[in-house]
Amino acid sequence: MRTTLRARTALGIATITGVALIASGCASGDDTGDEGGEITLTVATFNDFGYTDELLQEYMDANPGIKVVHNRAATSNDARANFFQKLGAGSGLADVEAIEVDWVPEMMQYADKLYDLSDPAVEGRWLDWKAAAATDSEGRLVGYGTDIGPEAICYRSDLFAEAGLPTDRAEVAKYLEGDWDRYFEVGHEYVAKTGKAWYDSAGATYQGMSNQFTNFYEENDGTVVATENPDVENTFRTVLEESADLSAKLGQWSDDWFGALSTGEYATMLCPGWMLGVISGNAADTKGWDIADVFPGGGGNWGGSYLTVPAQGKHPEEAKKLAAWLTAPEQQIKAFANAGTFPSQVEAYTDEALTASVNEYFNNAPVGEILINRANAVDPTPPFKGPKYFQINDAAQQALTRVETGQQSIDDSWAQFVSEVEALG
Amino acid sequence: MSAGPAPIPVYSPAQLARNRRRRMRRLTVAQRKPGWLGYAFLGLVLLVSILPLYWSFLVASGDASSARDPNLSWFPGAHFIENAYSAITNPAVNFWKALGNSLLVSTVVSASVVFFSTLAGYAFAKLRFRGRGPLLVFIVATMAVPTQLGVVPLYLLMAQYGWIDTMQAVIVPALVNAFGVFWMTQYIQQAIPDEIIEAARVDGASSFRSFWSIALPIARPAATMLALFTFVATWTNFFWPFIVLTPQNPTLPVALSLLQANYFVDYSVVLAGTLVATVPLLILFVVAGKQLVSGIMQGAVKA
Amino acid sequence: MTTLTPRQRLSNLSFRATPYVYISPFFILFAIVGLFPLVYTAYVSLHEWSLVGGDGGWVGLDNYAAVLGDKKFWIALRNSVSIFLLSSVPQLILALLIASALDTNLRAKTFWRMGVLLPYVVAPVAVALIFGQLFADQFGAINNLLGVFGIPPVRWHVDPLASHVAIATMVNFRWTGYNALVLLAAMQAIPRDYYEAAVIDGAGRIRQFLSVTIPGIRPTLIFVIITSTIGGLQIFDEPRLYDQFGQGGSDSQWLTLTLYLYNLGWDRFDFGKASAVAWLLFLVIAIFGLVNLVLSRRISTEGTR
Repeated sequence: MRTTLRARTALGIATITGVALIASGCASGDDTGDEGGEITLTVATFNDFGYTDELLQEYMDANPGIKVVHNRAATSNDARANFFQKLGAGSGLADVEAIEVDWVPEMMQYADKLYDLSDPAVEGRWLDWKAAAATDSEGRLVGYGTDIGPEAICYRSDLFAEAGLPTDRAEVAKYLEGDWDRYFEVGHEYVAKTGKAWYDSAGATYQGMSNQFTNFYEENDGTVVATENPDVENTFRTVLEESADLSAKLGQWSDDWFGALSTGEYATMLCPGWMLGVISGNAADTKGWDIADVFPGGGGNWGGSYLTVPAQGKHPEEAKKLAAWLTAPEQQIKAFANAGTFPSQVEAYTDEALTASVNEYFNNAPVGEILINRANAVDPTPPFKGPKYFQINDAAQQALTRVETGQQSIDDSWAQFVSEVEALG
Repeated sequence: MSAGPAPIPVYSPAQLARNRRRRMRRLTVAQRKPGWLGYAFLGLVLLVSILPLYWSFLVASGDASSARDPNLSWFPGAHFIENAYSAITNPAVNFWKALGNSLLVSTVVSASVVFFSTLAGYAFAKLRFRGRGPLLVFIVATMAVPTQLGVVPLYLLMAQYGWIDTMQAVIVPALVNAFGVFWMTQYIQQAIPDEIIEAARVDGASSFRSFWSIALPIARPAATMLALFTFVATWTNFFWPFIVLTPQNPTLPVALSLLQANYFVDYSVVLAGTLVATVPLLILFVVAGKQLVSGIMQGAVKA
Repeated sequence: MTTLTPRQRLSNLSFRATPYVYISPFFILFAIVGLFPLVYTAYVSLHEWSLVGGDGGWVGLDNYAAVLGDKKFWIALRNSVSIFLLSSVPQLILALLIASALDTNLRAKTFWRMGVLLPYVVAPVAVALIFGQLFADQFGAINNLLGVFGIPPVRWHVDPLASHVAIATMVNFRWTGYNALVLLAAMQAIPRDYYEAAVIDGAGRIRQFLSVTIPGIRPTLIFVIITSTIGGLQIFDEPRLYDQFGQGGSDSQWLTLTLYLYNLGWDRFDFGKASAVAWLLFLVIAIFGLVNLVLSRRISTEGTR
């Protein structure tokens, strides 16, 4: 009697363990082991790079013996945490890892853990500043650029009509031509006429403004000057003062922000190429969004990514080839068509596939042309982002949110920002 | 013919005392039947316990706007299967793998904890050896130390062995715990009389034989409780697996958290996934709930 | 019987040696994954240690100084204590009430007991995801309910205290039933004569509760208070999943110490500071645990007077 109960318990445990092993085995699938000569390469991206299964299949067809598995993290924050943790742990990273420009400075501190991707074949492929950011102090190129985020202004033509503002995109471009003061001026005009907000949040607008400076938070040698640089405080205060009337106070990526894409709580938005997919994807039934070839202050870049090959991978050479193929102008244009990720490859700007591309959702706007223009308007000297950039910017964004939600006054929030930056050391 | 007033009953002193005792018994707390208030209160408690889960079900059977709908109907919508399917098949979440992993981890850890705790508990309870007292106190003391204290070095250790993102990283640190030893020690001390062990010893049984054939069967109830608890605790553990695992190889709680890690979160899908993930433990609860309850209550008295 | 058979001698030997054999698996494993990390945390906290880069050199108490000088640490401490108080006190009272209600001659005892235990098997992660949305700021179900009573919507994800109430509710939801059962067990162990004696002395229900029940369950009560202290100051799952960003609020409104530890270690990759926070957290728990021990001893003995 006792034995059978014990036996039954043991059997029970064995069965459950067996089922568990089978269940986790069945679902694994992404085995990075090699099966009889075939090499499996994993590509890890986040958000939407525009790499569809069809695109990856093209590579697999052209390179028999290589299998490509695509892992997508949902947000860039999760991807960043995963990347750095595994970089430190020394194992677990994909063969090709996508990096966002915001973490590149942090990553460059550990450039020795990344495979050298320098190759005469890809020399001159990218915009100078794009390639320079991913080149370490010894001249090794450790990241292949994928996209950049040249910004234009997305606007709701139907709401503009309500306010008596021009609606045709060429006219809008002319109307908004100028610097940030002009943008805010038109904003006040709009608010006076309709009582609705002009843009989504102080944070997003601040982002657009701050990316136009070269040494906003840090000097080229990494010294943090965020609290002394008068540009930082000016931008901070200006944005908040204007936002009192102009902002819809919707934190970016919040539920309400997504909802407002449809409901029209704000009329304009700073629009990098990748934002087009976000708008059309989340406000699919809304008509009225359009994009104008203009940006306050000339041009701005927001975002952009790279593909890297961690040195810990088992097949660095093959991974390098894959990364080179994915970041070739032809593939990036395809990705652009899929997700709006605008190419950082110089050749793409003369490719007809890009220059002629049109976005139906945005009232058939010639987005390729517009974004090329905007890309050319971006200051060739990129904003310098040192290792602490990410954290300082986070603190600034939180400071802005605190004021917008009414929790603190501008002065108090600035004071807290200063103390947080100082605590970063 | 009138019979006059009813005769007054006369009781003997013994009878009086007995009646008094009976009356008091009716008043004492334990024997008192709960009035409707007691039942109503408990009913309310139960309702409040179920309500959040039912609300989740309402949202999960609706669409993305249901979570914020001020006029959400009390009747479920039609989309539960759809949303649940969405959550389960989401590639970023790896649901089936997570389920398998959780099952594996919880089973292995429970079995291991029970085995090692019973072994050590038997030694502490029934065997005499030098250092027994201080070691036991030491174990009890470590129970008070929070688990978060050692996470950083534990992570470094796992990284060193290359165990990050593997099940070993989640299983190995949990193979033994002080609470299990304490629990089994208490139980064995009370449940197994010393004489039995002595008798076995006199008969020439080895220590292991006494353990395996005599102590283990008697300790089984406590072992079962410990297994149940450890299973539930391991299954619902989030902090450590979150640190050491990634979306490619998660346990169920980690996978659940991934449902929310999006720029745009559709909460009907998130809650559908949450409910589905709650089902395994609900099944366990239905099957072994009684043992869980008695386990908690038995453990309480010994605390 | 003075001479032992060889078998008995072997048996004696096995009985003498085996205790150490039996407890060694536990102690060996525990030493590696339990003790060593505790000590090593102190070691790491005295170094500049990056998750990615590794050991960066001895810095003495710099990490501790940096953490203690960081406003976020104090905010996290405030939050942890606030959430702890908001969860333990109501939870304890409610658990006592439920236990009393269960400590009667109920019909279908097991049903009621299992019923109150149900929230315990819902994973904290699941509870957090559900309640995070129940307490949504705009049109969340709780705000809708408050609206029915004419109460204006509360900003659960913006106001610190509101967020603490929401998170404390999550903790209470999961643990009240469990603690009620623990207290019930203790209550059932009180001899019924005590109650009879109290009734004879003319005590009403409440007086019985205060003078007989509470002192009678004193050790268990203390145990429950201590364990909820230790647990309540350590929570991670609930604050982390309260919103989709996991930073404890745009202004650290609901950042707990453990969440702060995690962010330092795995978001900022600074293991040195994270280890320092770990030891400080331990200190905080130890202090609160001791204070609670003293207080609860005092309170439960008062009842017997």
